[in-house]
Amino acid sequence: MSVEEEGTLEQHPTESNTETAGTPKIRAENLTKQFGRIVAVEDVSLDIQSSEVFALVGDNGAGKSTLMNMLSGVHEPTKGQIYKDGQPMNFSNPSEARDNGIETVYQDLALMDDLDIATNIFMGQFPRTGFGPFQIIDWDETYERAEQIMMDQLGRDLDIKTEVEFLSGGQRQLVAIGRSLAFDPDVIILDEPTSALSVDATRLVQDTIDTLADQGITIVIVSHNIESVLKHADRIGVLYRGSIVDIKQPEETDLEELNELMTTGTLSSGRLDD
Amino acid sequence: MATDQGFIDRTFGDRDDVMLTLLDNMIWPILGLVLIGVLVLVPQTFRSTELILWGAVPIGLLVLAESLCLLSGHFDLSIGSIAGFSAMFTGMILGTCPSCWGLTTSPWIGFAIILLVGSLIGLVNGVMIAKVGLNPFLQTLAFLIIFEGAKTAMQTQPVTGLPPLYTRVGATPRFAIGLMLVAFLIIGLVLRYTSFGQAVYALGSSEHSAREVGIDTERLIIIIYTISGILSAIAGLMLTGFVGVVPPLIGEGLVFQAFAGAVIGGISLYGGRGMITGALGGVILIQVIQSALNNSPVVGATQIQMINGIVLLAAILLYSTQSKLRSRILASGAV
Repeated sequence: MSVEEEGTLEQHPTESNTETAGTPKIRAENLTKQFGRIVAVEDVSLDIQSSEVFALVGDNGAGKSTLMNMLSGVHEPTKGQIYKDGQPMNFSNPSEARDNGIETVYQDLALMDDLDIATNIFMGQFPRTGFGPFQIIDWDETYERAEQIMMDQLGRDLDIKTEVEFLSGGQRQLVAIGRSLAFDPDVIILDEPTSALSVDATRLVQDTIDTLADQGITIVIVSHNIESVLKHADRIGVLYRGSIVDIKQPEETDLEELNELMTTGTLSSGRLDD
Repeated sequence: MATDQGFIDRTFGDRDDVMLTLLDNMIWPILGLVLIGVLVLVPQTFRSTELILWGAVPIGLLVLAESLCLLSGHFDLSIGSIAGFSAMFTGMILGTCPSCWGLTTSPWIGFAIILLVGSLIGLVNGVMIAKVGLNPFLQTLAFLIIFEGAKTAMQTQPVTGLPPLYTRVGATPRFAIGLMLVAFLIIGLVLRYTSFGQAVYALGSSEHSAREVGIDTERLIIIIYTISGILSAIAGLMLTGFVGVVPPLIGEGLVFQAFAGAVIGGISLYGGRGMITGALGGVILIQVIQSALNNSPVVGATQIQMINGIVLLAAILLYSTQSKLRSRILASGAV
């Protein structure tokens, strides 16, 4: 199949992406987002399956962030429809996406350095005790649940009373993921999760992503780090100028090919012959 | 600190932990040293502990207001002016002096008016900062000047003839001290045990992150400045009771002492860090120094303002040193 044909087909999930059995966890159908006269994302369709690690890659300005923001409720699509578990969804803000089990961990992580891990995880959603208007934060429950998230779901033995400013880059990423887990999501969107991390920290985050996928959570990674997604993603969607030009499985592609797709939106003839 | 399966790349020893704890609570050893020093050099200062604490009430409430603003990553230069203006405005309404307006003699209406004036000024501060986007320094500096000027424009003589119950609140030492301690207790508990309180710390630590986790930061800023205005107005009421009249210079210069008290008490200048108990320690420290200066035979009344400035400078230097030490310890933890 030629790239053009494959790319065209991937725009229509009913024809192309349904090779994986069952209702997709997330279905984007003909999503388009315009900002004034600029078309940031155009007619993108894709299916993401339950427990899948799906990576969205692309060059700067390819539309990764816009697509991510539509899935996470930051932007409403100009055209098209998002489905979750087969149900049509219209998110007008991130809270609505969150209410429907979709959590997003943004690149800046949104952490409060002066506060400890548990407080960061539960900021804005603390467990409470008491009744009526006399409810107060239940700190015992907060620390207990934060420890459960770190230990049981992320498999990391971090002192949850440690202030975030003490943590390394990888650990900070874990805390941000931990906060998303506090909302009990079934889809987590990670925006550049390994950006600017050391090798060890990148491995820590990648292992965590694998752990979450093993727990049945669907992971969408938006990343520049092609090497990383090649190792850990189940499928990789390549965005070029607002459109998905190809969706590849890691075993059928390589770094060079993905880079070429990202930068040109197509593959050279030699590649096509292969 | 727990290890993380070999991935942790920052480690802190027990000595560093002790140092960090000490830095976060440095007010208590400093207070201890100052108490010993004053006891040795100016022992007459401690003739009446109740008098020291009573005198600390207005500044205590202002420290509380400033601490709340500082914890949220903001600050309020207008607290002294709010205290002075709200007290003067209410005094003009209640007072029976020749130039007073004398609109009512009800102390209850007086309590309502002073709180309303303080909260309204605080509310406008908050709206201008959160909604209009003005810089907190410039906004509150403008209000400092405006309301100090408005107070002087209203009255240049002491306002007398206030209802007895109105002045009794601040004139009864145990009641005033109790009120200040209750205010500290309530704010301390609110900060520790409510989502609002934790949101204040989050806002101070990173306004951007606080917004991203769903905190309505604009609303929070408005509430914080409104509370600051109310606490300042109560400070004005206490100042009125302390002297029995509304003096024309009421509230002036107190913002700097409040600032010093909060910073010495461990409240971070950059927000997100600090405890209300520390701020209370800062209040006691400032008031002990003030009382010692008043009782000292070698320090004249004209020199006190200069020494207050030195105390403020010392507080800022102390804070700066604390920040540097903290950064150094954090950096040394990196492997």
